[in-house]
Amino acid sequence: MKFLIQSLVNGIASIGRNKLINFLCLGIIAFSLLVLGIFNYIAFNLDRYSSKLTESIEAIFYLKEKADPASIQALVRRLQANLLVKEVGYTSRQEAEMKFSQDFPELNYVMTEFPESPFPASVEVTFKKDAEVNTQVVAFIEDVKKHPLVESVQLNLDWARKIAAAKKFISLFGYFLGFILIFVTVFIIFNVIKLNIFFRREEIAIFRLVGATDWYIKTPFLFEGSVLGLVGGILADLLLLVLVRFIPAAVGNVFSFVGQMFDVRQIPWRILAELVITGGVIGLFSSLFSLKRYVR
Amino acid sequence: MIQFFHVSKQYVKTSYALQDINLNIEKGEFVFLTGASGAGKSTLLKLIYKDELPNKGQILIDSININLIPHHKLFKLRRQIGIIFQDFKLLPDRTVFENVAIPLQVRGEKKTLIDKKVTNTLNLVGLSHRKRYLTAHISGGEQQRVAIARAVIGNPKIIIADEPTGNLDTELSIEIVKIFEKINANGITTIIATHDRNLINLFPKRVIKLDHGQITLDQTVEVEH
Repeated sequence: MKFLIQSLVNGIASIGRNKLINFLCLGIIAFSLLVLGIFNYIAFNLDRYSSKLTESIEAIFYLKEKADPASIQALVRRLQANLLVKEVGYTSRQEAEMKFSQDFPELNYVMTEFPESPFPASVEVTFKKDAEVNTQVVAFIEDVKKHPLVESVQLNLDWARKIAAAKKFISLFGYFLGFILIFVTVFIIFNVIKLNIFFRREEIAIFRLVGATDWYIKTPFLFEGSVLGLVGGILADLLLLVLVRFIPAAVGNVFSFVGQMFDVRQIPWRILAELVITGGVIGLFSSLFSLKRYVR
Repeated sequence: MIQFFHVSKQYVKTSYALQDINLNIEKGEFVFLTGASGAGKSTLLKLIYKDELPNKGQILIDSININLIPHHKLFKLRRQIGIIFQDFKLLPDRTVFENVAIPLQVRGEKKTLIDKKVTNTLNLVGLSHRKRYLTAHISGGEQQRVAIARAVIGNPKIIIADEPTGNLDTELSIEIVKIFEKINANGITTIIATHDRNLINLFPKRVIKLDHGQITLDQTVEVEH
C-alpha cells in the first residue's frame, strides 16, 4: 500500500515536472472524450425520445366484417397475453358508429343512409413504456396483421422508426469516431509516457543499478498515464456539462423539436462515469504499452 | 566471492573487449583494476553487475552463476553490489540526503530507518553538513562521496568503483580511496578501476592490470617510498 501511494505521488510529481506536455496531452484527451460524450449524450436522448414515442404508440387493428364474437375474444386474449402490450380495447361496429355520431353530430344524416353500421369493428392496442425496442413492436404488429380476422392496421410508428434509425446511425457513427479518437488518445498518452521515460532515463538507470524491481520503476508511469486519463475524463465531463447546459437550450429556442428531444437539465451519471473510467483505462493501457516498449 | 571462468566479451566480431579472463577475488579483498583506456576495465566491472553479458564463459558471485539470473530477479544481485561511477550518476534535482536514500527507498524501508541510516552513512563519508544541499550545488569531491554513501548504504557485499577519482585532483583522490579502505575494513569486497598509477602506488593492494582485454599482471603492490 505504501509502495502504491509512493508510486502515485511519484507519478503525479512527474506530471508536474513536464507541465506543458502534460497540459497539451490533457487537452487532447479531454477533447477526444468530450466528442465521445457528446455522441453518447445524443444517443441517450434519442433513445429516451424514441421510448416516449413508443409509449404513445397505438395500433388499431380493423377486423373483417364476418368476424364472430368468439374469435374476436380469442384475438383480444392473445393480444393481452403479449408482454409488449399495455392495454387492449375492443370497439364493435355499433360502438364505432355511436362514437362517430358523438364526434360528428352534424354528419348524423349520412348514417341514416346505411342499413347497418358502415364502420368495421376494431381492436386498439397500446404498448408498454418499456417496449422501447421498436423492432419488437413492429414485428409484433406484422405478426398480428397476418391474423385471419384482421383486415388492416393503422399505427403511428413512422416517427418512432425514424428516431430509431437516427439513433442507430448516431451510435454507429459515434462508435466509429470514438474508435478513431480512442486510438488518437492512446497514441498521445503513449508518446507522453515515452517522453517522460526519456526525461527520466538517468533516474531509471540509477534505480536499476541500486536494485529497484521492475514494478518499482514502472508503477509511477502507470499511475501517471492513468491520472492523465482520469483527469482528461473529468475535464471532458465538465465540458460536457457546460455544453449540455447551454447548447441544447439555445438550439431548442430555434427548433422546438430539439428542445422537446433534449432534456437540458439532465445528463445521466452513467455517461459521466463512463468518460472518466474510459479515460483511466486508456491511460493505464497506453502507459503499459509505452513501458513495454521503452523500459526493458 | 567473484570468479571468472574463461570469460570473453566482444562488442564487435573483429575484436575482444575481454578475452579468456580467469579471475578469483576473495571475500573482503581490495583490488585495483588498472590499464589504459579501452583495456576492458569498465567491461569487466559491467559483467560483474550484469550490465553486460559475456559471449563466453561463466561468472560466479557468491557461488551463483549470474548468467542464469533471470531479468526479473536481477535486482537481487544489484542489491548486493554498490556501484560508483566517474561521473557520479547522481540526481541533480534532489538533495544529498534524497540521493543517498534511494537504495533504501527502492527496498521499501521505513522512513525512520532511512533517516537513521542516511545520517550515519553521511557521517561516514563526512558529508552530514551537506545533507540538505542539492547535489548540483556541491563540489566534485563531495558528489563522489555522495555516490559512495549511496553505494554503501544498502550494506552490499561488493563495492565496484569505475574510475571514481577520474574527475578529482590528487588530494581528493587519496581522500576518496581512504574512504574505500574504511569501507573495505568492514569486510566489503572492493574493486576500483583506475588508470592512475600514482594512486595505486600509494596503497598496498592487489592490482590486476588489463591490456587489450587480457590480464597481463595480477599482484599485490608494495608502497613505494
